[in-house]
Amino acid sequence: MLTNMRVIAHERLGDDVNIRRLVLEGEAAAEAQPGQFLHIRAADALDPLLRRPLSIAAIDRSQRRLTVLYRIKGRGTQVLAAVPVGGMLDVLGPLGRGFQVPSTGELILAAGGIGVFPLLALAAAAAERQVKTTLFWGGEDRAFFDNAGLRLWRDLGTPLSLATMDGSLGRKGLVTELLGLWWQERTAAKEPVFMAACGPAGMLKAVSLWAQTKAVSLEVSLEERMACGLGACLGCACQGRDSEGRLKNLKVCTDGPVFKAEEVEWDAG
Amino acid sequence: MPVDLRVSLAGIDFRNPVLTASGTYGFGKEYAPYCPLAELGGIVVKGITPEPRAGNPVPRLAETPAGMLNAIGLENPGLEAFIAHELPRLKALPTAVIANISGFSVEDYRFMARSLQRDSGLAALEVNISCPNVKQGGMAFGTDPAAAEAVIAAVRAETDLPVIAKLSPNVTDIVLLAKAVQRGGADAISLINTLLGMSVDIENQRPALANTFGGLSGPAIRPLAVRMVWQVAQAVELPLIGMGGITVWQDAVEFLLAGASMVSVGTANFMNPQAPLDIRRGIEAYCERKGIAAVSELTGRALRGKG
Repeated sequence: MLTNMRVIAHERLGDDVNIRRLVLEGEAAAEAQPGQFLHIRAADALDPLLRRPLSIAAIDRSQRRLTVLYRIKGRGTQVLAAVPVGGMLDVLGPLGRGFQVPSTGELILAAGGIGVFPLLALAAAAAERQVKTTLFWGGEDRAFFDNAGLRLWRDLGTPLSLATMDGSLGRKGLVTELLGLWWQERTAAKEPVFMAACGPAGMLKAVSLWAQTKAVSLEVSLEERMACGLGACLGCACQGRDSEGRLKNLKVCTDGPVFKAEEVEWDAG
Repeated sequence: MPVDLRVSLAGIDFRNPVLTASGTYGFGKEYAPYCPLAELGGIVVKGITPEPRAGNPVPRLAETPAGMLNAIGLENPGLEAFIAHELPRLKALPTAVIANISGFSVEDYRFMARSLQRDSGLAALEVNISCPNVKQGGMAFGTDPAAAEAVIAAVRAETDLPVIAKLSPNVTDIVLLAKAVQRGGADAISLINTLLGMSVDIENQRPALANTFGGLSGPAIRPLAVRMVWQVAQAVELPLIGMGGITVWQDAVEFLLAGASMVSVGTANFMNPQAPLDIRRGIEAYCERKGIAAVSELTGRALRGKG
């Protein structure tokens, strides 16, 4: 839907001045699903011209609130960051295809950096269904996790397994190494495992290959520059395979942003 | 008295003068939940080529001040799939539908025109001789008057649909091209397509677009487009569809006053999916306020007393 949402909170998530938490209130909350995004107009102005697609990190239907976590990266997010509490934002959405929320089995989340944001909404939905969920999360260093919402995960009670590049928190290394260790230590599989991942393309590719060798069902959330958000402009193309294995273009905005890992062709582009 | 918004152009009766520009409106269905298509004068659908095209690699988009660059590269399902999968639904839409065709040779254009006739349910063909984002063809036809004339004449000879030539602004003298497509037998001219541009990502020190160059659109190009409409309006007899950065109704009125009979809304759809509707309403209110009985009276009004 095309709607206005009221800014209920807008603040730093941690100490990092560039990572923000934005809470919006309005009708769009009723329809939102984990993995979907909001296409937000940062200002009623010609510069920045385009909307910014930001993933939904938390859904509170009873209070009609959606939380968006984002990193200030360019002009659009800079202007957005200046919108005060009490202000109204022009929002198109929720848009896109979200995650499937499992109702049985075990849910494994794999995140690289701020790719963790959309996984938070999925974890909350899984918790409501009492699905056992674990987050494997890789980041730069200890400070990053504090700044990127580690406490939100602690509040949710999700078991965490962390990796840092410098070893300042958790294991030194990559999130895929955490997954490998976890799999080895896993006692005879009883429950089906569902996986969801979001992060840089290289990390998603590695997680995809890993999941494939373990025959684990995986969904990935992708990101690409987009203009319309509705499947018309064809700006946010990514490459995939159709059911017969032929290469085809997918639209991150409407075919995704969440895809089954096997739909995505990692090496085509 | 209600304002008469109807426009007759190239033998087609449009409900009002507001169209949506090719490449920004998909095949109409994408925007239908946000903008009632019956309220529009018509839609110009995504450009099609004889064969399917996958388009360019990403990044295909880069934002610029009051504008954007795109290098989609004419991604489209191809003529056959367009006819089989899109046309049946487009025919049923409660608005005029104009197809946009692109090719890499005169034969390509001829082939597509032959397959798209009045009985297809389309209102007209817009001939894209101005796409800046494909390696050969496209814009090449739009920068050489003789080639432009030949393409339009080929299309004209093959279809009984009205033919609209879409001109590129990437030329020294757009009037020469307008006259050429008039000679070729075009029924109307739409202008302008995007301006060839480029942007560099200063962090990774590479061109912002994978294709290096892209087409600049949005409010940034509007004054240039208005100037070209003004020039062409005085040089040819054909009716004009004006476009280039139209974002609000005031922009649309500018184009009409400068000589356009209709306007097309493009990039603005990305910011506001209801932009064409808002613009139509704004034009209507403007006419009421100015005591103008029919929107067609606006066309070229700024030219009065000139020359």
